[in-house]
Amino acid sequence: MASHRVGETGLSDSGPSNHHVPYSLFHGINAPSTSFINQEGSAFDFGELEEAIVLQGVKIRNDEAKAPLFTGRPAATLEMFPSWPTRFQTTPRVGSSKSGGESTDSGSAVNTLSSKADQAQLEPESPISKKASSSDHQAFDQKHLKLQQQQIHQEMATGPSHNQSSVKAPQEKRKGAGSTSEKQLDAKTLRRLAQNREAARKSRLRKKAYVQQLESSRIKLTQLEQDLQRARAQGLFLGGCVGAGSNLSPGAAIFDMEYARWLEDDHRLMSELRTGLHAHLSDGDLRLIIDGYVSHYDEIFQLKVVAAKSDVFHLYTGMWITPAERCFMWIGGFRPSELIKMLIGQLDPLTEQQVIGIYNLQHTSTQAEEALSQGLEQLQQALVDTIAGVPIVDGMQQMAVALSKLANLEGFVRQADNLRQQTLHQLRRILTVRQAARCFLVIGEYYGRLRALSSLWASRPRESMMSEDNSCQTTTELQIVQQHSQNHFSSY
Amino acid sequence: MHYQTEAWGSYMPTRSTTMGDPLERIERMASENAVVIFSMSTCCMCHAIKRLFCGMGVNPTVYELDEDPRGKDMEKALMRLLGSSSAVPVVFIGGKLVGAMDRVMASHINGTLVPLLKEAGALWL
Repeated sequence: MASHRVGETGLSDSGPSNHHVPYSLFHGINAPSTSFINQEGSAFDFGELEEAIVLQGVKIRNDEAKAPLFTGRPAATLEMFPSWPTRFQTTPRVGSSKSGGESTDSGSAVNTLSSKADQAQLEPESPISKKASSSDHQAFDQKHLKLQQQQIHQEMATGPSHNQSSVKAPQEKRKGAGSTSEKQLDAKTLRRLAQNREAARKSRLRKKAYVQQLESSRIKLTQLEQDLQRARAQGLFLGGCVGAGSNLSPGAAIFDMEYARWLEDDHRLMSELRTGLHAHLSDGDLRLIIDGYVSHYDEIFQLKVVAAKSDVFHLYTGMWITPAERCFMWIGGFRPSELIKMLIGQLDPLTEQQVIGIYNLQHTSTQAEEALSQGLEQLQQALVDTIAGVPIVDGMQQMAVALSKLANLEGFVRQADNLRQQTLHQLRRILTVRQAARCFLVIGEYYGRLRALSSLWASRPRESMMSEDNSCQTTTELQIVQQHSQNHFSSY
Repeated sequence: MHYQTEAWGSYMPTRSTTMGDPLERIERMASENAVVIFSMSTCCMCHAIKRLFCGMGVNPTVYELDEDPRGKDMEKALMRLLGSSSAVPVVFIGGKLVGAMDRVMASHINGTLVPLLKEAGALWL
């Protein structure tokens, strides 16, 4: 009966066997004998403490003294009767099973439980000092110290009335215990003790469940993060493969990935710009940030040059941008004069010189756009003529001519990007440092909202499709959208 | 916009026109007019650059290299001059090289093209 050795030996050491009972009762009552250490002291809460004190004095003789020992709370033991020597030979077992472990260990722990319960009740400070003086082993002592303090906190937390009543009770009981070894517990006290026990047990269970939930969520979160990183790294190749299913060339897939990263950088730089502006940085510092932002734009134009070489259609048809942005697209990107028009109202206050500069910029960009658009029109017309015409010798020659004409598309996309880049640079030149910061913020936010509009639009029809619930649509417009989306769902 | 054809050979009686250095010819041709564009009739970008100048109210002199007997040599010379794989379109203003489409557009946006045109006498506004 190794499991019972603990109690026996420990108790036999200390002498009176009446120690048996309370601990078995403890254990029997608190069936989930989880590790006390794990529960950080709250396991030994007031309910049990009180009970320990009360029952210590009762000395109910019971054969269930043989029941498995209360191993969960070795350290928070007190000796009820300080005259009896306390023992704590080694560190208490940490959540190990009922059997095994060192007998003297738990025995002494058992001993100290009772005394602790008592003394902490009456003299919060003394048990600690008592412990310190009589301790043989420091580790155990420290544990005791910690748990004592927790216990004290526990008691403090339970409220004055509770304290008082409980202080009174053990005192009364103590007096009784001093004189006689037998005691009668009235029904009220018993009920109260039972209730406390139940409450303590429930809170322990709740806490355990919560902690487990937290742990599993944390694991899930780290897994998700890893998946996300992996997906990002390979995602576009997967996306390229999936995209290959939807006709994404490798060049296009790579560009999409680079653009996605560019958007992230954009977001980061914009918040940098925003904080820099609001923090009232010096012009020199702000200029650095702005120049960085302009280089950031130069970066995407450079990427587009490379992408245009490998897959000009991907850029020209706007498959790399959101549908809402695509509505306003001009030769594979934004229309510079439209951007200036949008900015004009938002750049105040401007000097007269600046106003002239901005209007000139709008004028010249419009002229350049016109020129490029007309050149593109001629290209389209030439293509149509080539493809529509009757094949001269054979169709292959016709196709070869058409191919060479189509190659010019790359040049137009490049020139359009060049125009966009030059427009942004000129804006930077016209404006002061602070104005430029605000300007670029406005631009970034504008396109951010356009992208958001696109995703909002994309998600709305899908929801109405999934729900298949006409009653949730309140307007006929939405119903029309629903019908349309059912037709066009595949395009998403 | 006026187009020069083979007839221009008669403007240069003192020089051997058949064996002239293409680059020299280009420079000579460029200095004859305020705005000179070397182009090709089938090139769409050339069409764009022409439309740009016309849109500004400029009257450029256009040489279609594919209609010139020595066009091929000049094309190669221009490619070397620009350091790019496409010879046309190329713009000279006031006899000085401005560049291809990207340089022309950049100078237009940054406001240096119009003063240059005015200086060369191509614009009077």
